[in-house]
Amino acid sequence: MRLKRRRGNNSTLFLKRKYSFRGVMRRYGAFYLFLLPALAWFAIFQYYPITGIQIAFKNYRFSTGIWGSDWVGLRYFRDFLSDPHFYNILRNSLVISFSKLFFLFPAPIILALMLNSVKNVPYRRTVQTLSYLPHFVSWVVVAALIHKFFSPTIGLINDLRIDRGLDTIYYLGRRELFLPFVVLSDMWKGIGFGSIIYLAALSGIDPNLYEAANIDGANGFRKLLHITLPGIKPTIGILFILNLGGLLANNMEQILLLQTPNTYEVSEILETFILRRGLRMNQFDYATAVGLFRSVVSLFLIVVVNKVSRKLADVSLW
Amino acid sequence: MKRDRKKEKYRYEGSLSLGKASTPYKIGQVINYTLLLLLGIATLYPFYYAFILSLNEGQDAMRGGIYLLPRVVTLENFRQALRHPLIFSSFGISVARTLVSVILSCFFTSLLGYAMTKRDLPGRSLIIFYFFFTTLFSGGLIPNFIVYRQLGLLNNFWIYVLPGIYSFFNAIIFRTFFYSIPASLQESARIDGCSELKIYFRIMLPLSLPVLAAIALFVGVGNWNDWFTGTYFVSRRRDLWPAATLLHDIISAAAFEIRLDPTTGISHDQQQRAREIAETTTPESLKMAFLILLTAPIVLIYPFLQKYFVKGVLIGSIKE
Repeated sequence: MRLKRRRGNNSTLFLKRKYSFRGVMRRYGAFYLFLLPALAWFAIFQYYPITGIQIAFKNYRFSTGIWGSDWVGLRYFRDFLSDPHFYNILRNSLVISFSKLFFLFPAPIILALMLNSVKNVPYRRTVQTLSYLPHFVSWVVVAALIHKFFSPTIGLINDLRIDRGLDTIYYLGRRELFLPFVVLSDMWKGIGFGSIIYLAALSGIDPNLYEAANIDGANGFRKLLHITLPGIKPTIGILFILNLGGLLANNMEQILLLQTPNTYEVSEILETFILRRGLRMNQFDYATAVGLFRSVVSLFLIVVVNKVSRKLADVSLW
Repeated sequence: MKRDRKKEKYRYEGSLSLGKASTPYKIGQVINYTLLLLLGIATLYPFYYAFILSLNEGQDAMRGGIYLLPRVVTLENFRQALRHPLIFSSFGISVARTLVSVILSCFFTSLLGYAMTKRDLPGRSLIIFYFFFTTLFSGGLIPNFIVYRQLGLLNNFWIYVLPGIYSFFNAIIFRTFFYSIPASLQESARIDGCSELKIYFRIMLPLSLPVLAAIALFVGVGNWNDWFTGTYFVSRRRDLWPAATLLHDIISAAAFEIRLDPTTGISHDQQQRAREIAETTTPESLKMAFLILLTAPIVLIYPFLQKYFVKGVLIGSIKE
């Protein structure tokens, strides 16, 4: 997960002295050939779309195309910043991602610690296998299950309420419940899979440390505090930084599937706004401007997080 | 062996327990086991609930009260689901896109990973930065959409495959694994006059089956589950929709009805559509049958592949 760019690599220089162009090709030609399809694919599907970002500053028309449309400067950015929904959308994006970081980051760690203290191996394996399962199921299925459970007309929870003579509630239409729905459904889907990496880190802790702690008469809590947690601290650190880096990248699929028109005020995020304006209302240029705003802010976040963490904890993504 | 046993013995005591076989320790264990049991139930029950509803007669299920077992068992929902005009084409598309994506993606991504193992390749760091940069900054949804339109990929089967062939992250996983294969194997093959392509096919790939299986699983599941591409990029060709998109279409239609009528029992639309489809099947029971059909392959296959994806996750997390 840690991608490290090597600095001061002067092997190129060294080789230039040793081999002619022909020599390089004879020695490395096959590898360049292997890289060729990848270079082409990244050019077409990654770099070419980046040139399309210019329509964020243009009045894009299908007839004139990306390059031929007229420049309009920062109009769309001004439009977006003065959009009555701008504040809501930005707030929702941040609230949802911070809540996820706050609640979903510790959850797999706690699960891993719990699983790790189960002695009965078949029991542990069964729970593990079950808990990984939702990760492999489509969000569209998860959303269907949520609708099935919480729907006012045909839902399990409201069935139970009717049995007790209570009124039905349209849970997914409640604004105050949207955030819990998003956080909890994501937790349900990801907690088991997220724990894999911590379980591996836990099993790498030297058992002699626990033995020594036992001799010293340390209790379970102290062992947790002084052996277990320090043992998985590097893993926690790297994953935390990865999570921070993706802070502004919300799961569009999930939000799209869980939001209802009643909850737009708290559920509309940058991604869904881009999708709505761009693909449903055909405002390509405006939506691209919003997308660029999002990309730049999140790139900035990643770079800052990486810088800070390298300084403070000597952990970095690159 | 001895060491392992010691490890097994002590690893548990470090976690949430409180001392050795003391009463608080036992209480802690009971709480722990119970919570994990609840988690297991919470994970499994929603699927089980959908399963029993798919086996229950639709009109009967409308009355509610089905929690543990189906009340009026029938296969009518599945029979109706299989009569849906798009069911076979959509599952055909799902299978096809999954297979084609897995094969192409595994081949090209592993080849990229192999090429990146060559540490002294002239220009290597520049090339890797070229790939890496795209994980930091990309065109975004709309520019991608415009490019797909220019390439004629909209409403075209290849939209499911081509944009997802490469993943820098998966290539790194391959590279990390390739590094663990002794370089002397490649060297001796090279001395014997093996071409690089042959080394890749005859030595590297056969030794990388665990990581190939892991990546194949991730790519395959991603393809099988993807509904977004079908809904937004293949909107005009329903016959090219994968099963996940079909399910999304069916569900969002139902969700719309609920929105129209959030308080009363059964909406008119639902009753109307129920009559159109069949006497006993409702859109709801049909939805559950579709959901089970879409989920079943994953649920059935995945326990067998578990050790591979665990491996894949771990390789991915190893620092270079």
